[in-house]
Amino acid sequence: MRRLSGVLCWVLVLGAMAWAGEDVLVMGVTAEPETLDPHVTVDNNSWRAIYYCYDRLVEYEGGTTKLRPGLAQSWEISEDGLTYTFHLRQGITFIDGTPFNAEAVRFNFERLFAIGKGPAGTFEFIKSVEVIDEYTIKFVLDAPFAPALSAFATDQGCIVSPGVMEHEVDGDWGQDWLSEHTAGTGPFYAAEWIHGMRLVLKRNEGYWGEPAKLAQVELRYVPEPEDLRMLLEKGEIDIAEKLTVDQIQSLKGVPGIRVFEAPSFQCHYIYLNCQRPYLNDVRVRRAISYAIDYQGIVDYIWQGTAVRMEGPVPIGFAEHIPVYQYPYDPERAKALLEEAGYDKGFTLRIMHSPVVPEWRQMAIVVQQNLAEIGIDVEVESYAWPTLRAKLDQGDFDMSFGYWTPDYADADMFTWFWFYSENWGLPGNRAWYKNEVMDDLVTAERVEINPEERQRLFEGIQWLAVSDAPYVYLVQAKYQLPMREWVKGYVYNPMLLNMPNFSGIYIEK
Amino acid sequence: MLAFFIARRLLLLVPTLLGVLLITFLISHIVPGDAAQLIAGPRATPEIIQRIRQEYGLDKPLHIQFAIYLGQVLRGDLGKSIRTRRPVGADIRAFFPATFELTTTAMLLAVLLGIPLGVISAVYRDRLPDHLSRVFSVIGVSMPIFWLGLLLLFLFYIRLGILPGPGRISGDPPAHITGLYLFDSLLTGNWRALGDAALHLVLPSFTLAFAVLARITRMTRSSMLEALAQDYVRTARAKGLHERWVVVRHGLRNALIPTLTVIGLSYGELLGGAVATELIFAWPGMTHYVVGSMTSLDFPAVMGVTLVIAIIYITVNLLVDITYALVDPRIRY
Repeated sequence: MRRLSGVLCWVLVLGAMAWAGEDVLVMGVTAEPETLDPHVTVDNNSWRAIYYCYDRLVEYEGGTTKLRPGLAQSWEISEDGLTYTFHLRQGITFIDGTPFNAEAVRFNFERLFAIGKGPAGTFEFIKSVEVIDEYTIKFVLDAPFAPALSAFATDQGCIVSPGVMEHEVDGDWGQDWLSEHTAGTGPFYAAEWIHGMRLVLKRNEGYWGEPAKLAQVELRYVPEPEDLRMLLEKGEIDIAEKLTVDQIQSLKGVPGIRVFEAPSFQCHYIYLNCQRPYLNDVRVRRAISYAIDYQGIVDYIWQGTAVRMEGPVPIGFAEHIPVYQYPYDPERAKALLEEAGYDKGFTLRIMHSPVVPEWRQMAIVVQQNLAEIGIDVEVESYAWPTLRAKLDQGDFDMSFGYWTPDYADADMFTWFWFYSENWGLPGNRAWYKNEVMDDLVTAERVEINPEERQRLFEGIQWLAVSDAPYVYLVQAKYQLPMREWVKGYVYNPMLLNMPNFSGIYIEK
Repeated sequence: MLAFFIARRLLLLVPTLLGVLLITFLISHIVPGDAAQLIAGPRATPEIIQRIRQEYGLDKPLHIQFAIYLGQVLRGDLGKSIRTRRPVGADIRAFFPATFELTTTAMLLAVLLGIPLGVISAVYRDRLPDHLSRVFSVIGVSMPIFWLGLLLLFLFYIRLGILPGPGRISGDPPAHITGLYLFDSLLTGNWRALGDAALHLVLPSFTLAFAVLARITRMTRSSMLEALAQDYVRTARAKGLHERWVVVRHGLRNALIPTLTVIGLSYGELLGGAVATELIFAWPGMTHYVVGSMTSLDFPAVMGVTLVIAIIYITVNLLVDITYALVDPRIRY
């Protein structure tokens, strides 16, 4: 009898193991989260780990930038655009057993502002938060702010359990504890984190919505992309994040592997420092925009994994309009330089950082292109923090850079980039100032009439191309290599690098 | 006398470590860039950045920052990492065992293979075993770790499939006692984890050991040749001693001093080489921690790691100096 039960045990254990293989997803990633606290982090790697451990008041609808109800089942925006009232879902509890209600939401914004780190910046527009009743909460704004609603769908808008205060040490609002744990209402929770190795998310069995199909998601930390490729080919991981353009090309056609591809909102461009000699002349900036071989960059450096940008607002945004694209025309560029009185040529420096390998290659193309019109370019490579510091101080002529939006509103590509009070890291990295532009981008922020707002955006896009403070290079495609047995993956350009673990399943 | 020697060496450790700390501190503060800015993220307001600066004491003058830091270190507190927001000591305790296990295995491998190879090479001078071992060591000295690691992975993992791929263990790690998987799985009797961890160690430790192994082989070979040409060896042979006895007792023992020096110095190289090895084999050691810290200007972490590595390096070399006395009775401290 004992032997029989022993055998039975083994059968059960083996069965459970085989079964476990089917609903465990292993995603290989090259970087670990810094912390798991959504009120502290602005790091993509952290967001990927925690986004599905939490819910937000509003959520992105599937693969679109549209918003749908989340923890709030409905909401009203006052006519003057100054108050947002959310009606919350009832009967939800956090993973730690704390009930979800308006008080919990208020606590989140109190904590967010008290901690006052990066994520607080996303909700700067909030003046006060009022609990109306147990399931109704009202946000009052300083001034109308058109993109406000979509800010609530970002990772910074994750709703954390007030229960974290039980772990508070020295008035830290539970930051130490929450940096290693999660406390949300979402479909998963962080079960184990072995630093440098793996982070395991387990299904929240008491989830209020549709439960996740996967019982477990393992984020396995593999710093070297070449290893990721090997592990994916061997089938030891199901999804591989962040391979290089070359590696992805070599995976295409490998049986059992598919490479998901879609346009993304990750834009690469060159900042032309408008406060510097030569570049303070719009004719020089236009000449540079004419001198660059965009098609060559798309075809040979990005190998077709990017498309050329069309003005400052990325293709795919509702506010985008087809504006003028500077053609590759060195003759016209030379004529412009001559008109500006620089026919003898001059020297400029351009910065890049190894963080984006393609920048170095593009720098060489730009160097060659500008040499053709008589501009001598010196290429300089800096460590990421150094490059950012130089951008912030305006200590550069030209620099490569990229930008991805936090919320789905063209404001991310207009107010941040062109408003003269945003000089430096906040967003206006070209140190550009035009009073007409300043008026347009501040008006866009507070305009509540959608048609009027769209007209403002159109003006901004034309002026942005005409003044040419940036060279609008490429919009990279998002590529995610995975095993063919990974099903149910839905790409959302607003949740870059954050696959929908709640909907994915495995079918071998 | 030996105790006096050790005490003096330990005292000398203080100015050395102070120097290490000062240099690391200066370098990490001279590079342009603002750690507070990095923590706050791209869309933070100036007030937020200022608050973070205050929280981490980044708003104070440099010498005050250094003084505060030194005070903390003397109390055994390495400070709090700016990037991971955890105490640096805790982070090092989490990551260091993996690096220690890897470098120690590599060192053992290099010594246990390198010395016999060198001896064989010297004994069979200019014959086939010597040629083979010399080719082997030239390859070892000249092959970059990065390339070797990828090559070995490709061959043994992808092609032959007889050794596991990148990582430290495939299943669950053994219960945490020391953080050294081999040791922990032995202590808890977790044989699956023991085998799993040991197999995972093979490729990375060999990759890391190869260069040092080659150097030890070459050093042992040349000092063995020198020792075997000495008069006392001829005398020993003339006495009719068995050749094996001559080689080991009279030759090797006298040839070991230069090899020991190489071993001591190589430990530093192993700690440095561990960076590339850990990267290729996705080894969860200090590398990714320290690289991540550097790129985010996380100076408490960078300094904590530098301090720990300096202490280990100095300790290993102290041990080597003590071993001199054990190997060579003429050396007295």
